[in-house]
Amino acid sequence: MFRRSERACQAARQVQVRVDGVTMSVPDTLSVAAAVLQVHGWQGYRRHHDGSSRAPLCLMGVCHECLITIDGQPNRQGCLVPVAEGMHIERQGGERHD
Amino acid sequence: MTELRRADVAIVGAGPAGMAAAVRLAEAGLRPVVFDLNATPGGQVYRQLGDPQVDAVVMGEDYLRGRTLVETFTRADIDYRPLSRVWWLGRESTGYALGVITQQGAQSWHVDRLILASGAMERGWPFSGWQLPGVMTAGAAQILLKQGALVPCTSAVLAGSGPLLYLLAWQYLRAGQPPALVLDLAPESGYRALLRQPLNAWRGRGYLLKGLRMVAALRRAGIPVLQGVDGLQAEGENAVERVRYRHRGSWKTLPASLLLTHFGVVPEPQLARSLNLPHGWETGQQSFLPSRSETLAADERLWIAGDGGGIGGALNAEREGCLAALDVLASLDIETPDALGWERQALQHARHRDLEARRLLETLFRLPVDWLDLQPEDTLICRCESVSRGEVEHAIAQGAAGPNQLKAFTRCGMGPCQGRQCGESIARLLARRTSQPLDTIGYYHIRPPVHSVTLGELASQQDT
Repeated sequence: MFRRSERACQAARQVQVRVDGVTMSVPDTLSVAAAVLQVHGWQGYRRHHDGSSRAPLCLMGVCHECLITIDGQPNRQGCLVPVAEGMHIERQGGERHD
Repeated sequence: MTELRRADVAIVGAGPAGMAAAVRLAEAGLRPVVFDLNATPGGQVYRQLGDPQVDAVVMGEDYLRGRTLVETFTRADIDYRPLSRVWWLGRESTGYALGVITQQGAQSWHVDRLILASGAMERGWPFSGWQLPGVMTAGAAQILLKQGALVPCTSAVLAGSGPLLYLLAWQYLRAGQPPALVLDLAPESGYRALLRQPLNAWRGRGYLLKGLRMVAALRRAGIPVLQGVDGLQAEGENAVERVRYRHRGSWKTLPASLLLTHFGVVPEPQLARSLNLPHGWETGQQSFLPSRSETLAADERLWIAGDGGGIGGALNAEREGCLAALDVLASLDIETPDALGWERQALQHARHRDLEARRLLETLFRLPVDWLDLQPEDTLICRCESVSRGEVEHAIAQGAAGPNQLKAFTRCGMGPCQGRQCGESIARLLARRTSQPLDTIGYYHIRPPVHSVTLGELASQQDT
């Protein structure tokens, strides 16, 4: 998991998002992938079509390992979508998403 | 009817090169359109700098250096379109056609002139277990730091080769979460070569001093830094549980849950490749680079500026952005050739000096050419389609003659990342097995869409 460093130079403005049905508060500057890494870490992030567990690698739009369901739309690149108030995020850790 | 939007100049990317190009064009009275993947300007290096979450105490002075550029870009009269994916480029007789997915939906553009400033990416560098959750790139870790002052809850293991590895270790130290261990995979011969290249060492002394200071700070803090590591593996069931590494001939195992790796950066190739631009293998950078003229032009209406054309770092990217803009202005007869000439000469001079200095980094952080040979057969080369080194080797033995045939044989490069992570490894494996130069082997044929787009997004084309 990741946490906000105590050396951050300002207080974070928070937004409320739902991650797998649970409402959570995260800094509004984060991408969806970064927010999930903060609240849940890399474990259980995504199940690949070969059945293996995967999680974000690059966070800059290249690797496509951060695919995630956002507001009902599956396989979005979580690192390229900023969090927004009321957003529904669902990890694709269970069944396969081809 | 679908609306076709028009602009004199489009810029893809709002990192240092794209921002500098846009600012210079705006100064000359043009209003370029800038498409960028991210929500805020800055690219990777100056990410979140408009509203920084961490300051120079944690990040170092180099991060804050981009502040003026971000502010100037934000204030200038530029048609800046964040969160936009340029998924298609087409060459036309009067310029370029662009297919873009924006926040407002799909758009079609025609532009007279185009500057590609789409930057670099972390080099895909396979090792056993690199697909496990808990393996991330150093670049990703820095993005978390910049985006939300995020640091790992546990002490990470850092491994790889390149200045970014030491920078991240130093930043984590400053952020109050020092790494457990730094594994330097740069061949020790690089440090010896330095002694034989005193001129390069002198030219790159700025980089050298910065690096030595960071390593000294890490050692003072008691963080073990191991040089001469030549093997790396991540192990675990559903995530990283252990990191194995070979140091001076013997394998060691360390319990760890987070492994952050860095094997240098290379140009993000997709847009330039999708235009079938000529590329060549550059041995210093150990990478394919698109061909550019001294004015950074790739053809009469196209320029490539910044790390997308070859790795030169943030300051060089800013200069290249200006240089490309100056050539665009010259081609439009907007400013007098004399005025442009002086500005151009100063920028070119600084650019060459900087690129000379970077040779030092290339020598120090050279990656071993036999790396892939030393990885276990089941090491994934293509992560998206889960194609192992063994499968790739088998297909080469069966007669797959080039990257595109290998794709057909094994599905490597056919997943959502479209070969960004495996393209270089595939070319390297082919070159070694068939004893041909990398320039002969070439690269995947990249076709649009160069970003993942849904049919729904394409159907959202705005009509008028």
